[in-house]
Amino acid sequence: MRRRDFLKDIAIGSLLLNIHPKMFAQGTGSPDVALIQGESPSLITKEAIKALGGMQRFVSKGDKVIVKPNIGWDRTPEQAACTNPEVVKTLVELCFDAGAKEVKVMDNPCNPARRTYVRSGIQKAAKSAGAKVPLPNKHHLKKIPIHGDSLKEWEIYTDFVETDKIINVPIAKTHSLSRLTLGMKNWMGAIGGNRNQLHQNLDLAIIDLAAFFKPVLTVMDGYRILLRNGPQGGRLSDVKLHKTVAAGVDYVALDAVGASFFDIKPEELRFLQIAKEKGRGEIDLEKLTIEKRTI
Amino acid sequence: MKKERSKKYRAIQAIRIFTQFFFFGLFFYLLLMTRYPGEDYIKRVEIFFHFDPLLALVTFISSRTVYIFFLPAVLTIVVTFFLGRVACGWVCPMGSIQQFFSFVFKKTQLHRPKKLEDNHTVWKYYLLIFILVSSLFTLDLVGIFDPFSFLYRSFVVSVMPALSYSVSSFIGVIYGLNLLTIGDVLVQFFENLDINAIFLQGLLIGMIFVGVILLNLSRERFWCRYICPLGALLGVISRWNVLKLKIDTEKCIDCNLCSLQCQMQADPYPNEKWKSSECDYCFTCSAICPTNAISFPGKAAPESIESIDLSRRKVVLTSLLGILAIPFFRISPARSRASEKLIRPPGALPEEKFLQKCVKCGECMKVCPTNALQPAMTEAGPEGLWTPMLVMKIGYCEYYCSLCTQVCPTGAIQELTIWQKNNLKIGTAWVDQTRCIPLKFGNPCIVCEEHCPVSPKAIKFITVNVQQPDGSIKSAQAPVVDMATCTGCGICENKCPVVDAPAIYVTSVGETRSERNQVLLDIFQSEEDPY
Repeated sequence: MRRRDFLKDIAIGSLLLNIHPKMFAQGTGSPDVALIQGESPSLITKEAIKALGGMQRFVSKGDKVIVKPNIGWDRTPEQAACTNPEVVKTLVELCFDAGAKEVKVMDNPCNPARRTYVRSGIQKAAKSAGAKVPLPNKHHLKKIPIHGDSLKEWEIYTDFVETDKIINVPIAKTHSLSRLTLGMKNWMGAIGGNRNQLHQNLDLAIIDLAAFFKPVLTVMDGYRILLRNGPQGGRLSDVKLHKTVAAGVDYVALDAVGASFFDIKPEELRFLQIAKEKGRGEIDLEKLTIEKRTI
Repeated sequence: MKKERSKKYRAIQAIRIFTQFFFFGLFFYLLLMTRYPGEDYIKRVEIFFHFDPLLALVTFISSRTVYIFFLPAVLTIVVTFFLGRVACGWVCPMGSIQQFFSFVFKKTQLHRPKKLEDNHTVWKYYLLIFILVSSLFTLDLVGIFDPFSFLYRSFVVSVMPALSYSVSSFIGVIYGLNLLTIGDVLVQFFENLDINAIFLQGLLIGMIFVGVILLNLSRERFWCRYICPLGALLGVISRWNVLKLKIDTEKCIDCNLCSLQCQMQADPYPNEKWKSSECDYCFTCSAICPTNAISFPGKAAPESIESIDLSRRKVVLTSLLGILAIPFFRISPARSRASEKLIRPPGALPEEKFLQKCVKCGECMKVCPTNALQPAMTEAGPEGLWTPMLVMKIGYCEYYCSLCTQVCPTGAIQELTIWQKNNLKIGTAWVDQTRCIPLKFGNPCIVCEEHCPVSPKAIKFITVNVQQPDGSIKSAQAPVVDMATCTGCGICENKCPVVDAPAIYVTSVGETRSERNQVLLDIFQSEEDPY
């Protein structure tokens, strides 16, 4: 065998070895959900995005991107009420690496924004990666048609409308009304108005909001998850170190995977059940291709 | 005749004006910095108050405690003792603002100085006597008239909110003109300043402030001349100072310009009539004297000093008034029974001691990150006018915050760590069963529970079956308050979707600082006194 042929064979062989049979079944090169476990929030986030085909699959050169974490409460990262700052920072870096022109990280918190931005560690982390972290600006609030089944229109921060791509980065927590607060409920932080009234029909409201915002990518932060006293917790004993990040395009599937962090079956959650019935996404974990790895 | 104004005193005057701007700027800067600093503990932004010997003295007398933070006030006393009321003319931001408007009113000829024969400058001494005597009997009224308290309160409760409103409207116009980038930059800048913009008594306190400024239309530096009790105190101390005005009678042409233009009605001319204790050392007289006849030699012999001309009868009368006022101030029910609306900030002393120390300055109202702290009107009785209380419909007590306890200049609110603060109660939440959405309609809600910051939550659930108007039964989770863990922070009331009269609300009962304002016996016994 000549040297050139040998190298060729190696190349083809290694390519073949890398191709998973499921890739052919799906007709695409990446799984529905990447579920990565590991010690470093930053590394598992990177790995999850890589498994999905890299950030350039979601963010194009020159894009304006909004990364929407949960910065809802005046709590530290250890208390697991807000998204892990390292996960947010890593996503910002990946966006810039993919050629994003501008990355904004923002939320409309329940406690004063200046406090939550600081204590959550997200402001510092996101800024260090070059993102803009603006405080919610009431002049940006506009009543916008949602065209939902229950929500017809609502006051939305136009930041989320006047952008090219949205990436949702929720944290997985318990919640006494929707049982869990995951990715779909995270959109409560992109709206204004008397949003507390939405609680009277919360499940339908968050389905409508999730359909309206259409994130290109959802990254579920399960590095620390909140088992009790959600959605803001308080004691460290309420927190479980789960060391997981899940990412994917199907935001309903991501919430279903998030539910599995708590050993809750997705169909037990009313909003997931309804979302599935409305055809917004898949909640049957068996039907999803999940690339699960520990690094 | 050729004018020969003193170059030296004109230069001193210029330096004095610069100094006034500097100190006013410092005052304003510290006011702006009195906000959440991005960490849990704030630097001593209240330092201005600690240079105020009047606050130090009255707090000392009325509460019978020495507050070590007032040490800088000794400096003011020493300086005044040797140099006279330079603090009034060169440093005091309230004096600077009065003088600024006096200057404007004079330049625009809205005010024309007249020759004055009256002796009204003594009013402030009577006011001082009244305040001191009443404080002797634990009635602390100094906050209403103390210049720093007056100015700070006026700025926090009315000037800044008005400014904030105007800025917000202006930004609205900017956005209307589609200047989006400029609008965004301005919004981020002002949001970071954290200006509390909602105050119950903004108009009243603002009107009083504007009124005091308009008094300068009648007399220059009206407040400083006739009202300021701190000025009076410094006037008494300055009796023996070494900076004495001297008129060179050889040069003097008896034009009386100095007396006419004197900011403080200290009557520089004739020399023996000059009132040392009224002079604020602005050096206007020596700077405008057309013949350069006025000087302030450092070692002039105090041959004939015009002493403060108080009538003994009036001194006795004012003292008696100060004593007589006390029972009248205490007729109110506030003393005998706690008001449900009077929710004091965490760390506030027991009510009686609190009123002996609070000087109504508004520092706590400025620093509160949620705008919850508001000046009381009648809730705390007449003594408690403008003292701080939380109004949960406007804000709430932020869980990881003890800033108000850190900025209180007199210790009326004891300094607390966040841990200490979260281990005491300022009140208790109550569910209004007739208005609560699950209890009344059987609809889901739980916004109060979601926001409850303590862990485990002080709001728990019970399942209720609510009969609907059509007779059917709806089942829902309804909130109940666990009195043992509720801190009374009020976020539940603030966030309740029943906006007009929240279906969960906080009253002062159960507050740790009070022995009597309690409901449950066992809770009261299990709590340790934090002080």
